[in-house]
Amino acid sequence: MTRLNSYHRYLNKIGWIYILPALLFFLVFMVYPVLSSLLLVTQKWQGLSRQFVGLGNFVRMWHDKIFWKALGHNFLFMIIQIPIMIALAMVLAVILNQGITRMRSVFRTIYFLPCVTSLVAYSVLFRILLQSSGLLNNFMISSHVISQAIGWLNDPFWAKMTIIIALTWRWTGYNMVFFLVGLQNIDPQIFEAAEVDGASRVRQFFRITLPLLVPVILFSLVTSTNGTMQLFDEPNVLTWEGGPSNGTMTVALYVYRQAFVLNSDFGYAAAISYVMVMITGLLAYLQIKFVRERS
Amino acid sequence: MGTVRKKITPGRILIVVFLLLGAAISVFPFIWMLIGTTQNPNDVVTGRLVPGKEFALNWEKMTTTYDILRFFFNSVKIALGTVFLGLLINSLAAFGFEKYPSKARNRIFGIMMLALIMPQMAIVIPLFKQIAFMRLLDRHIAIILPMVMSIFIIFFLRQNFKMFPTEIMEAARVDGAGEGRIFFSIVVPSMKATFASASIYMFLQQWNSYLWPLMTILSEEKKTLPIAMSSMMRAYTIEYGGLMLLVCISTFPVLFLFLAMQRQFVQGLTGSIK
Repeated sequence: MTRLNSYHRYLNKIGWIYILPALLFFLVFMVYPVLSSLLLVTQKWQGLSRQFVGLGNFVRMWHDKIFWKALGHNFLFMIIQIPIMIALAMVLAVILNQGITRMRSVFRTIYFLPCVTSLVAYSVLFRILLQSSGLLNNFMISSHVISQAIGWLNDPFWAKMTIIIALTWRWTGYNMVFFLVGLQNIDPQIFEAAEVDGASRVRQFFRITLPLLVPVILFSLVTSTNGTMQLFDEPNVLTWEGGPSNGTMTVALYVYRQAFVLNSDFGYAAAISYVMVMITGLLAYLQIKFVRERS
Repeated sequence: MGTVRKKITPGRILIVVFLLLGAAISVFPFIWMLIGTTQNPNDVVTGRLVPGKEFALNWEKMTTTYDILRFFFNSVKIALGTVFLGLLINSLAAFGFEKYPSKARNRIFGIMMLALIMPQMAIVIPLFKQIAFMRLLDRHIAIILPMVMSIFIIFFLRQNFKMFPTEIMEAARVDGAGEGRIFFSIVVPSMKATFASASIYMFLQQWNSYLWPLMTILSEEKKTLPIAMSSMMRAYTIEYGGLMLLVCISTFPVLFLFLAMQRQFVQGLTGSIK
């Protein structure tokens, strides 16, 4: 009995030894920074001096026009880009799943390709592609789609379109893979039964496919929302530092610029990132709740 | 389904055209970046899609102004370092949580799961202060260490360890194998595909990381590929051909990895768990 007990104690010790390194990293590089930021958000940094301001950073944020503008851009990208991307990914997945072409795996591989580029690499590439006298404008002018060059990078409106187009190029195939897996998990007998009942393809899609894919769509929605809220690489590289005239400024980029480019105010930057995290969490919660209630 | 011969209808043609168009848009940038490496800056921008003859010149211009091979090796070193340490630490933890269950450890795992949703942006500002305090700024270790422990990877590996039969561990114990040997010579070799997926995930995270290196790396010779690319866009006259070279150097290793190990790659990138 005692031997068994000491053996269990031994295994328990092994368990602790195994998780110890990870736990240490977790405490040093996650828990401690998060706790220390509790102090940070109450401070105003100026050069080497720091001053206690209480909730002052949050009051300042409330009156900060660029912060609101940045937040608005995050929401704009979310509301416009995510539905386009999810719809496109869904259409591609459904087409490939129906086996209209025999080359399903070839197409799947090709659509997934944009995901292998790093965010900076594809941002650089798109920045070159979208110069006013660049490839895309030249191509569209010579094929008479447009008569004048579009200011993809110089016009605040078109710069937002640029981000939306770039994000869609980079992430559609990624989301498509999830939908394909979801579609393959649907029992084909359901469709055969629907076919016998005379349901049209379109009706089958809306009545069977879509409801069964809800969990996958939700996953895609939550991860995309999360990603869009943290958008940084594209506005910093592709449209260059959130330009033109803050036209593509995002919250994450504003946090970075507050801390490292503009004022070195780490307190204010940390406070903005706090708000960003809360909004991200709230959005995920609302999306999950909304979908749960609907189904 | 595939055996039934399908009629050619206008709808079907439209769908195939749509698929081909999508494929062209997906592939085009890759072809263009290759062509771009052989062109002069003006042809890159205006988009002449004919290969030029300036590959050697672009290479020479780039290598004399920047140490691009160093950027490449910095990125490789950081990514591989993270994968190596990360695999070791995260797999041990996942194994500890799964196969040596205890109430206390389960509670710790629960707390870690709560932190899973914490976005990177929430941590970087205080983390920067901390790294500065630890005197690690402008060192590659500053990029590696915070990325080693990944709650997601621990979760992913734990899910996969669930499928490893505990009876085998007990049989090995009866045969006199120590706990360390059970893990390193029995469990690890039998889960190569899982480890491959986890490695690819961690490798890409680090290979692509931009925000954190941008904050911590200051000296030219310590830059990684993403930092080097974005700082070259800042130059007064941008060497577009050379920039395309760098884009290729950053992209093609990952592309080959993807083509060689598609299954593990997709699993690693999408983090899908069976």
